[in-house]
Amino acid sequence: MASKEINARSTVATPTGAWLIGVASWAVPGLGHLLQRRWVRGLLLGGAVWIMFLLGLALGGHLFAISSKDQGLAALVQGLPMIANLGAGLLYIFCWIANTGFVENAQLVTSEYGDKFLLVAGLLNYLAMLDAFDIAAGRKK
Amino acid sequence: MRHFLWMAVFAALTAVVFGAVAKGTGRDRVIYGLKVFGEFMLIGLVLGWLLYFLPLR
Repeated sequence: MASKEINARSTVATPTGAWLIGVASWAVPGLGHLLQRRWVRGLLLGGAVWIMFLLGLALGGHLFAISSKDQGLAALVQGLPMIANLGAGLLYIFCWIANTGFVENAQLVTSEYGDKFLLVAGLLNYLAMLDAFDIAAGRKK
Repeated sequence: MRHFLWMAVFAALTAVVFGAVAKGTGRDRVIYGLKVFGEFMLIGLVLGWLLYFLPLR
């Protein structure tokens, strides 16, 4: 009984490398797995996220960002999809610096598809990031 | 047709990621990825037909 309580309370510290792998995986989709020599998984995950993001831009989708004029509910409406977009890591930051992909192209038939591709690319990269982190922390093979 | 194509591309890319992060052997992951792809396509088609009959305009 006592040993069970001790086991339940004890925590294994997460190695620092796992956090770095997580950050690398977020910044460049697929990099976290490639650094751990998970070549196939890294190429599949990274490739899927990169293709989805670039297709999203090519389809006329736009990225979300909170501007200074967004207050209250408007900030929330812009903020949630921005968090999803931000999952693409440096891809999003590069677009932000280059001021590319933030203009809405509602006149294009495929712009809604592009929006969804961009949002889901970011969300899928969060999933890939957690997977890379779990592998680095020894929680997953 | 264009809508169906983009839905298929979306489903395929999402299924690749879901399959890659799944647990189990390589075979299990491939089967799971194919299952996710099939589910996306099936649900997309069913919802498409349901919305077609709804008088939204």
